[in-house]
Amino acid sequence: MEDQREYFKIALRNIRTRRLRSFLTVLGIIIGVFLIISLLSLSEGLKTTINKQLQAMGGEMIMVMPGGEEDIFTSMMFGGAKLQKQDIEAIKKAKGVDKVLGFSYTGTIARYKDESKQIAMCGYDPWKESLDVLSIFQGWSLAEGRWPSKGNQILIGQYIANEIFSKKIKAGSEMVIKGKKFEVAGILNSLGSKQDDSMAYMDMKVYQNLTGEKQGTAAYAIVKLKEGADENVVKTEIEDSLEKTRKRRAGTDVADFSVITSEKMGEITGTILDIIQVVIIGFASIAIVVGGIGITNSMFTSVRERTKEIGIMKAIGAKNSAILSIFLIEAGIVGIFGGIGGVLLGSILAKVIDYYGQINPTFYFTTTISPWMIVFALVFSFSIGCLAGFFPARAAAKLKPVDALRKYE
Amino acid sequence: MEPIIKLENVWKIYQLGKTELAALRGLSLEINPGAFVAIMGASGSGKSTLLNIIGCLDFPTKGKVYLKGEDITKMSESQLAQLRGKVLGFVFQEFNLLPNINCLENVMLPMVFQRVPFLERKEKAEKILKMVGLEKRMIHQPAELSGGERQRVAMARAFANNPEVIIADEPTGNLDSTTGKMIMEFLKDFHIKQGKTMIVVTHDPNIANYAEEIINIKDGQITKNHLAAEKVLWKTKENILKSP
Repeated sequence: MEDQREYFKIALRNIRTRRLRSFLTVLGIIIGVFLIISLLSLSEGLKTTINKQLQAMGGEMIMVMPGGEEDIFTSMMFGGAKLQKQDIEAIKKAKGVDKVLGFSYTGTIARYKDESKQIAMCGYDPWKESLDVLSIFQGWSLAEGRWPSKGNQILIGQYIANEIFSKKIKAGSEMVIKGKKFEVAGILNSLGSKQDDSMAYMDMKVYQNLTGEKQGTAAYAIVKLKEGADENVVKTEIEDSLEKTRKRRAGTDVADFSVITSEKMGEITGTILDIIQVVIIGFASIAIVVGGIGITNSMFTSVRERTKEIGIMKAIGAKNSAILSIFLIEAGIVGIFGGIGGVLLGSILAKVIDYYGQINPTFYFTTTISPWMIVFALVFSFSIGCLAGFFPARAAAKLKPVDALRKYE
Repeated sequence: MEPIIKLENVWKIYQLGKTELAALRGLSLEINPGAFVAIMGASGSGKSTLLNIIGCLDFPTKGKVYLKGEDITKMSESQLAQLRGKVLGFVFQEFNLLPNINCLENVMLPMVFQRVPFLERKEKAEKILKMVGLEKRMIHQPAELSGGERQRVAMARAFANNPEVIIADEPTGNLDSTTGKMIMEFLKDFHIKQGKTMIVVTHDPNIANYAEEIINIKDGQITKNHLAAEKVLWKTKENILKSP
């Protein structure tokens, strides 16, 4: 260990002597690690956001949405097929189902005082019942005001109330959405995710009048189960029931359905996010490998430049393993410095994205940097450094002392 | 007495394209412990090749080389490195200090390779540097020193592991005559006081005169061995002309 410490010192001096070249080599690794950290932190952030929403959906709920499970994200992101009136009736008929809440949402422009901003509006059907279910089972609560009782009354999320408009919105104020005047009956406490907090909630009938969506339909449905009913049993019941109506409507343009328990929802999003992460790591790894080739290149040059030094060290008793160690340590240091630099830059970018998201309500990205990410980046960059340095180091170690000393003579 | 270095019918043949060049031709040599030997010869005579083989830096093409009775041609790279570091100390014409580390660290380096603990090697290196009169230059980089000072650091480095043999390749070749003389005095002193074997390669008769025995090399073979008694002839410039 003693001698390794000395080799470390020598390696560090060598790096310092070739400052500019070392810096450029380190930069190659920095870029790779920076990519890994910033992209991974974004996808981790996405995971956190989605998980929060899943939690907000609650454990005892089942979600029904049009579209097969395989293209669940397409329907969630872009909408598309709707649940028809018959579908919702079919869900209600299934055993173990207590209540069915249909809901749709869309982005829109809202005006408060003299300011117009982008928000999301969401309609629930049946409105009164939804409010009961949501407040009792989903933990909706009012920060101020009261629950709406008339069609022109709405609930708004924390984000709309406090952040989106330059003036804070108080309960009882007037807002204009899609040209229609609304009274803000109540302001909800935070629902746990920014998306939910950026919505204006209203009666589905009003929503559909405003958006032109067909009455009686809904983009999604949340199913509240009867006391003691098993999630998976009810899921099958709903599927059977939907299947029957579907057969009756054969020939018309009927979409697929997905009946998803909260458990299943977690699995699906988990799988998709895992794929995203693998892809990200793949791309960023390419960047790191390129950085690694930079290290190899720089180390080969360094071996050539220092051939005589290698000869001297061998003459005064350095074994091949000592020379190998010195050069490997050098490459490893370059790698780990690149890793540290990349982690720092990546974290800074992640913070900037977070900050931008906070001041910009329609920008939904948040980032999360977990310790394993940092450890992974550092270990990875160090290994790449050592790997890239291996061949130059071996070439250096294999030099015959007499040949190495004769160099430049 | 068993010779510390023994060469038996050593050949070194370099392959230059299609032609072969024999730098050493069946050379045999014995150097006893505690001897002070100068190897002389014109450039291209094979003296550097001989020095490399004596110094275990190179293997002969044919023949046997014994260092302390051990056949080095049968040793692995690592064993050889270990032996070099322990038994031999090198002083080069070009000083060959590592430029990135200071004088003290340069002197400590051979001890690192012999796994001497840090404090011990630091203490030893400081002592040797003091001995060569460089106690005030210890933390200077080699580039900040004069040629003579650098060569003294190189000597200190050669002494670091307390080797039995010091091999000096034209140690004064890059120095003015006064500094050169000082360096030779150091080497002689080391030889006399500590009884170390000294092998100096030179083409300068004044330097060779410090030795007790002079080996002349020509075309890869030993032409003449002068003993201490004969070398007196070479003491002055006029005498060189008269020398046989």
